[in-house]
Amino acid sequence: MIAKIPFREGLFEEVSGRWVLVGCRCEACGKTFFPKKEVCLNCFSRDLKRINLSRQGKLYSFTIVHMPSGHFEPPYAIGWIELPEGIRIFSQLRHWQEQPLKIGMDMELTIEKLWNEGEQEVIGYTFGPSGVVKAV
Amino acid sequence: MKEVAVIGVGSTIFGKFPERATYELGGEAVRAALQDAGVNPKDIQFAYCANLYGGMVVGQAVLREAGITGIELTNIENACAGGATAIRKGWWDIASGLYDIGIVVGVESMTTSPVAGKLIPPAKGDISGELGMNTVAKFALAQRRYMDVYGISLEQIAKVSVKNHHNGCLNPYSQYQKELTIEEIINSRAICEPITLLQCCPATDGAAAAILVSRRLAKKYTGKPIIIAASTLKSGDYSYRWKDITFSDMTYKCAKEAYEMAGLGPEEIDVCELHDAFAVNELQHYVELGFCQRGEEVRLIEEGMTEIGGKLPVNPSGGLLSKGHPISATGVAQVAELVWQLRGQAGKRQVANAKVGLAHVLGGEVADLESGAVAVHILKK
Repeated sequence: MIAKIPFREGLFEEVSGRWVLVGCRCEACGKTFFPKKEVCLNCFSRDLKRINLSRQGKLYSFTIVHMPSGHFEPPYAIGWIELPEGIRIFSQLRHWQEQPLKIGMDMELTIEKLWNEGEQEVIGYTFGPSGVVKAV
Repeated sequence: MKEVAVIGVGSTIFGKFPERATYELGGEAVRAALQDAGVNPKDIQFAYCANLYGGMVVGQAVLREAGITGIELTNIENACAGGATAIRKGWWDIASGLYDIGIVVGVESMTTSPVAGKLIPPAKGDISGELGMNTVAKFALAQRRYMDVYGISLEQIAKVSVKNHHNGCLNPYSQYQKELTIEEIINSRAICEPITLLQCCPATDGAAAAILVSRRLAKKYTGKPIIIAASTLKSGDYSYRWKDITFSDMTYKCAKEAYEMAGLGPEEIDVCELHDAFAVNELQHYVELGFCQRGEEVRLIEEGMTEIGGKLPVNPSGGLLSKGHPISATGVAQVAELVWQLRGQAGKRQVANAKVGLAHVLGGEVADLESGAVAVHILKK
């Protein structure tokens, strides 16, 4: 079996059989952050509560990249997803060939392989059009 | 604070010179600035050298080429704002009374850098960079939303590139001396949709330098010094506070401070060199720099108001799009261009009766912040 390692620790977890992004909410000012912080960047309170972020959001903007960049072979899609918590998540986008991307469309989270590192699969979060992601 | 003047500027021609070392490019610009000012290298009291990809103590190697040693010399990195940051630091060293005369140089060899032929990624370990972010994608995301939400067309955006490439044809320092059509720009290959190749600034090698002095000392060298009326520099705020990625809050704030510092308003700017790393940036910066209200920026380009013969010429040098963008040199090169414009030495690209000029740079992709740094300088006769 191929070992799967997160591209970075502490960003996402499996909770009751479903993957979620892990953020935090400031108990003092109510601001939400992802990734979670040690101190609230808004009011500097240390009273931060770990929260699971919504798995669904809306596409704020997107681009198809046609040159190599870091780990990804072109063409690949990236974009900003606006979550109901009022934050924007920068993410790889998937399934954009199956359903054309459009600003404002519903997007859903998946945790999947981002790239290979030797014998290991490096996994991370991606978003795709809601209907298509649910179907896979 | 003491008033600070620019009494000499110099620049290499911008282009692709992989056979030339970073220090050679920088040395040429420094010697040109010294000659322009009529300053003996031995009189220079301090120096700042902006560079991103050249390695350690680049400034020492650059100034060695011009006979400047044994002084307070600081190397600076601030991504695309590196050159302007060096100007700001040089300005402060004189404004504060610490020194009377110094040199600022910005230099970059992109063709020999580790990112030659690639999209520029954020620093190693940056979370957005790990996920595929790069400097073109950042602005492609803004452009997509700008076109979608504000109804801006690709043709309108391409007009910026047409204008700046036209200006580049008039500038002997420009990397590109070629007119472009809207069709060529739109139909060039996609880099990060909807940004195509000819909406992007090229990879460029080059250097620029400026000699700064106290106004009192300026009299010794010239009867017509160019005064730095404002110098402002800001780091980016958290992106969670950034409401709209099509409007650069940090540019708006930095420009507002600069106008206050200069005691001048946007309506008093006669010529502007701004950060058109991508064609779309120029339209958005018109708004943030106060040249027009949101929604009027397209009119500025469509009615020719920002052409060299227009009411407010923008990027008469050709801008980053045509003149080129040697990262850390750009901020100093913009100041050099404004000095030439205000002195009336800009040749075929001369803006008539220019008395006040504004320079703006913005750059440095980093996760969770709007951008790395922004700087605005206002120069006047």
